[in-house]
This record gives sequence, structure tokens and C-alpha cells, in this order.
Amino acid sequence: MYGLEAINANNGWAISVVGVTIVFSGLVTLSLVISQLYRVLALWENPSKIKTLFKAKQPKNQSEEFQEKEIIDQAVFTESQKEGAKQFSLLIRTMENHFSLPRLLHLAQISDLKNSHSNLNNLLKTNIIIPDGSGFFTWEKETFDKAIL
Amino acid sequence: MDALFIEFYHNTGFYLWDYRYLIMIAVGLVFVYLGIAKDYEPLLLVPIGFGILMGNIPVFQGLGLSIYEDNSVLHYLYFGVTQGIYPPLIFLGIGAMTDFSTLLARPILMLLGAAAQTGIFITFLGALALGFAPNEASSIGIIGGADGPTAIFLTAKLAPHLIGPIAVAAYSYMALVPVIQPPIMRLLTTRKERLIRMEEPREVTKREKIIFPIVAFLLCCFLAPAALPLLGMLCFGNLLKEAVVTERLAQTARNSLIDTATILLGVTVGASTQGDIFLVPSSIGIFALGALSFGIATASGVLFAKVMNLFLKSKINPLLGAAGVSAVPDSARVVQIVGQKEDPTNFLLMHAMAPNVSGVIGSAIAAGVLWSLMAS
Repeated sequence: MYGLEAINANNGWAISVVGVTIVFSGLVTLSLVISQLYRVLALWENPSKIKTLFKAKQPKNQSEEFQEKEIIDQAVFTESQKEGAKQFSLLIRTMENHFSLPRLLHLAQISDLKNSHSNLNNLLKTNIIIPDGSGFFTWEKETFDKAIL
Repeated sequence: MDALFIEFYHNTGFYLWDYRYLIMIAVGLVFVYLGIAKDYEPLLLVPIGFGILMGNIPVFQGLGLSIYEDNSVLHYLYFGVTQGIYPPLIFLGIGAMTDFSTLLARPILMLLGAAAQTGIFITFLGALALGFAPNEASSIGIIGGADGPTAIFLTAKLAPHLIGPIAVAAYSYMALVPVIQPPIMRLLTTRKERLIRMEEPREVTKREKIIFPIVAFLLCCFLAPAALPLLGMLCFGNLLKEAVVTERLAQTARNSLIDTATILLGVTVGASTQGDIFLVPSSIGIFALGALSFGIATASGVLFAKVMNLFLKSKINPLLGAAGVSAVPDSARVVQIVGQKEDPTNFLLMHAMAPNVSGVIGSAIAAGVLWSLMAS
């Protein structure tokens, strides 16, 4: 038996469709799971974030906004910290808009920036560098200008 | 004394020779030449090529020399092929060598590995249409997975009499990836598409890398339990690598163990291509279908990447689709070469490894699916 007759007789079409479907479902499921893996790990490492996930998002009222602004305004940078922040701003210009924090730190270290860890920490605390929600970070130029320049 | 000489002469290869043995010896020499002089998959082609030479020395029956005689040494070594022992050991080594970082950084590229497996099932249909039995057609189709150990494993389970031609076809086409794939890739893509640059992948944490083989194993094997021997060993090998504390075991898996298994598999598969058994019309059909399978797998990956681009904001270079066939790392290397011909500053290798390693997982799942469907 040859040709289409052989394929039909051996249930070839059904086997092929089922086979392709199973391979696709397996890899699609796997890719979905691993695409969320780093988020789950982030929650695992910082359980307090779980609570915030279930809290309904409330619009910020004026006083909260004011407090936030105050935190930035009150963040007093020493001269050397300001210098460090400026050096970071130069480094960031060489990177993508959404950059990886370990890579930034690595670049700072190989560029011999002084106190790179603590300067980076200051930038994070003062929301000059903020997470974009997908594992990368962005540089808030306005906040930087207000706090440093 | 004359009688003794004549008797001895009757037992020599010069008396027992047959043109089919000579043809196969020539094929073996070509394999050895390609491996050594052209550097095409030398770690595979040299053992297989020399195995072909070993299997095609004309010997008289009864002395336990031929691989097909129950009491021969080669037959005992061949046991690892016919019982599917060597392929999982090779997968253990592959797992201990593979870095899944790029796949973890951009999991969507895994779909390209799935798309390339379409070639397996289309070739399965082609083989059925040419009159092969379903078990044989499944074994022929898996050549399109571009994964030698998987092809041998499935064939050992479904059509052991075809191991020789299927293994030789699979490994030959794997060695010829740099020749087969580029014309298909260029035919199916525009210059503009080949110039697409990929985004830099995010950094992947060690913890993700450790969890991945466990999650992948559990998920895929629950879905296709017949993929257990291959995927189990692949994921286990990768866990040994990523766990760091088991580095000594990972070293063994990625060096001595995989080398031993590759030598034994290569030589015995080569030796199984005895001229009188190998040179039959069905072998030609298998070779033709194998080439078709490889071509369809490459085309499916590239075309699927183009379809994905219709929906993605951040476009992917469709050349990456060709790496969905699991010839690791050759097809990823081909993607890099074809991409760099258009733009020498475009580095696609790292990105191509993602569909490439997902192709390994995909072809193992496909083998598991075919095995369970045929068994049932």
C-alpha cells in the first residue's frame, strides 16, 4: 500500500496531528512556567512582596505623594555620593534604557568607581533607579536631576 | 600443505569479498575523510567511519566475528545500541555540557524548537506514503530531529533492523548541517529579516538554572512519559552541572562517560552497516526521506519565527528558527555564520542556542510520543 491510502490506513494524519500538538503543548507549557520562574523566585526571596500583591492598589493621595517627594528632597547626598551618582549616570548612558542591575554593578566595578555598592544602593533607595517589573531597571532622569544637580 | 593454504585462502576477505562490501568500505573512508580532513563532526564521523570499515571486512560465519553473530564481541558491544543504553548516557553528558541560560532568559524562543519538530511528523507521513510500516516510518521521521542519539534510541525500540541506515543518515545529515541549512534559510528570509538584531538577554540567576532541569523533567515527562530515559538523563546531567556541589560527577558525565558512550555507539553503529544487510532499496528511501526531514525541520523553524514576528513587539531574527533542529551546537553556529554574512557585527550565536537546546528537548518529547503511540 502506498500514498494517501497508506497514510489513511495507518492513521497517519491523526498520529501526526497528535504528535505535533503534544510537542507544542509540552514546550509551550515549559516556556510559560520558566518565563514566570524568576518572578516566583523573587517572591520567595522577599516574602513581604506577596502581601503587596494581594493588596488592592489604591490611588495615591496627596499626602503620600507629598511624603514621597519629601523623601527625595530629604535625601541628602554628600559631595562624594553626588560624584558617585554622576559617574553612574555616565555609565548608564552606555547601556540600554532597560538595564540589568548586576551588569551595571559589574561595569561600575571594572570602571573602578569608588564605593560602587553603596552608591548604587543610594540610587535605588532614592528611586533614581527603579525596577521596570520585568527583571530590569530604568534610570529616572528627573529624580536624578532634582536630587543631585 | 597446499590444502591448508587453500583452506586458509577460502577464509580470507580476498576470497569472500562482495562488491557491496567494497562500496561500504568506500563510504567508511569518505566518513573518515570528512571527519579528519573537513572537520565535519569528527567525534562522530571518525568512529562511525572506522566502524563501517570494521563491519565490512568479509568474514566467514561461525567464528563469532560479525556484529550480527550472537557470540561476537562486536555483538555484545552492539547490545548497548539495540537496547537503547548508549543514547541516554550520551544525553547525560549533553546535559552536563549544556547551558540553558539563554533559554531561561527568553523562553519564547523555545517555540522555535517545537516548530522545527514538525519536520519529524511530516516525514513520518512521507515514509508511510512510500510504503514503510508505521514503526519504521516513525524511526525515519525522527531523523528530522537532527539528534543522533534520539534517532538511534527510537529506532532501537521500534525498528531495530533499520538502526544502521537510520543512524548513518542521521549522523551524516548532522555533519552536513552547514551545507543543508544555509540555502533554505536564505530562501525563506529577506535581507531585512536577516539583519534583525536581538535584544540582549537578561541575566539568569544560579537558582533559576538549578530549578530549570527539575521543572523541565517533571513537566515534560508527566506529559510524555516515554521520553523519560532521554529527558531524565539530559535534565539529570544538567542538574549535576548547575548544582556545583556535584561538579566531579558533571565532569565525568561531560568527559569520560560521553566519550566512552560515543566511541562504542559510533563504532558499533558503523559496524552494523554490513554491505549485504545495509545496501538494500529501503536504505536509499531512508536517506532521501532523512534529507527531506532535515529540510522541512529547518524550514518549519524559520517560517514559524516569521509568524511569531507578526505578533511580537520585539522582533526575532527568523534565522534563529533554523537552530530549532537539535544538532547542537552546529545549527546555532550556522545561524551565526549566515547572520554575520549580512552584518558582521550581529552576534546571533548566543540567541540561537535557546531554540537549539529546546530542539533537543522537543525531539526527545517527539520520540517519546511516537514510541508510546506506536506501542499502543
